Amino acid sequence: MKLDTSGFETSMPVIGFGSNSEMLDGVSSVPSFDLPRTTDFDGFQKKSVEMVKPAKGTTTLAFIFKEGVMVAADSRASMGGYISSQSVKKIIEINPYMLGTMAGGAADCQFWHRNLGIKCRLHELANKRRISVSGASKLLANMLYSYRGMGLSVGTMIAGWDETGPGLYYVDNEGGRLKGDRFSVGSGSPYAYGVLDSGYKFDMSIEEASELARRSIYHATFRDGASGGVASVYHVGPQGWTKLSGDDVGELHYHYYPVAPATAEHVMEEAA
Amino acid sequence: MQIFEYNGSAVVAMVGKNCFAIASDRRLGVQLQTIATDFQRISKIHDHLFIGLSGLATDVQTLYQRLVFRHKLYQLREERDMKPETFASLVSAILYEKRFGPYLCQPVIAGLGDDNKPFICTMDSIGAKELAKDFVVSGTASESLYGACEAMFKPDMEAEELFETISQALLSSVDRDCLSGWGGHVYVVTPDEIKEKILKGRMD
Repeated sequence: MKLDTSGFETSMPVIGFGSNSEMLDGVSSVPSFDLPRTTDFDGFQKKSVEMVKPAKGTTTLAFIFKEGVMVAADSRASMGGYISSQSVKKIIEINPYMLGTMAGGAADCQFWHRNLGIKCRLHELANKRRISVSGASKLLANMLYSYRGMGLSVGTMIAGWDETGPGLYYVDNEGGRLKGDRFSVGSGSPYAYGVLDSGYKFDMSIEEASELARRSIYHATFRDGASGGVASVYHVGPQGWTKLSGDDVGELHYHYYPVAPATAEHVMEEAA
Repeated sequence: MQIFEYNGSAVVAMVGKNCFAIASDRRLGVQLQTIATDFQRISKIHDHLFIGLSGLATDVQTLYQRLVFRHKLYQLREERDMKPETFASLVSAILYEKRFGPYLCQPVIAGLGDDNKPFICTMDSIGAKELAKDFVVSGTASESLYGACEAMFKPDMEAEELFETISQALLSSVDRDCLSGWGGHVYVVTPDEIKEKILKGRMD
């Protein structure tokens, strides 16, 4: 007895790889893509994205507290194991009251933040008022979403002060956008979160908050090989942002953990 | 990341006037995460012979233990210490024994031979000896180390100057490498004494 397999047949015609079906033009219910002719399709896709995408070797963090937003980052750029620079500016000044942090591809972050700055200025000119942090981060997220899957590497935080008060958003190259109080991005972020989360209180003064931010970046640079250089700390208040400090983490280590002078264990004594 | 870069390391040895210096970094990591900042890479075989091993940390420790064992046997049989040239051949043979499943380390051997003539050599992971008259390097920071040593080395340096030179070369090279650093460990060996010093470096 032959099994009745009519239930398995679908009325939708199957679209072959790379073929362009005239039947479906104007009626396409299933989007068709030109696909590469390889034996290992998934492997090929993964390799082509990996080729363009540099690893997010960095530590950046930002948090909202009583006096505004504190933003901090390290300054190391690494290519695999090689340190290409110890003095990269990872906190990007979008406009006098908004900051963006850089994690991922340096070129990607610099270009898109500048592009965002242009769009924010155009918004100000068109609407005679500053753009909100929510609006700016949405503009960036939508731009990045349209390039999804093309290998952009951007893991950024937009921090600013607008009419509703301090604002902090995390935006990434997948097109994700999250609103929050505390974020850390990069390969050193687990270490920074450890210090940041245990020391965080909403009612901190600016000095306490900047010390917390600096300490978190320092601990991340100690444990993470891809973070290092200079720990920069910025504060965003109602009047805009100011740079609070830029300390070399090599010196910070000996400042936090001074080397105790070695005590002589065996003292030569004069024979009595 | 490749297996040689799993733990991260930097080792360098330099020749001076009737003395030698051998130095290493102190980091033990698991890829980008730093686990320890006091890892011993350089070990003493006898008073005038040191070996520094870079590469996979587990093989560094195991290979060192095997070499100490072989040297102790040699001492019992021959009733004297091994010469550095002989020891280098021993290390080379032990590494080649594992030709098709090698120890994933690159040794740097430094010693004082007959008439207190300094001897240094390095090997790849399957025992190819490379003798040098001035300096040898190995580890993840080896390219930076080659550059730094080439620039800073002078022949016939005394112990004090040799210590300064090797320390500067090591610290400046590991500052360009994510996977090594976090301090330095230097041994300067003359016919009469061994000076061991810990270097204060960047801890990032």
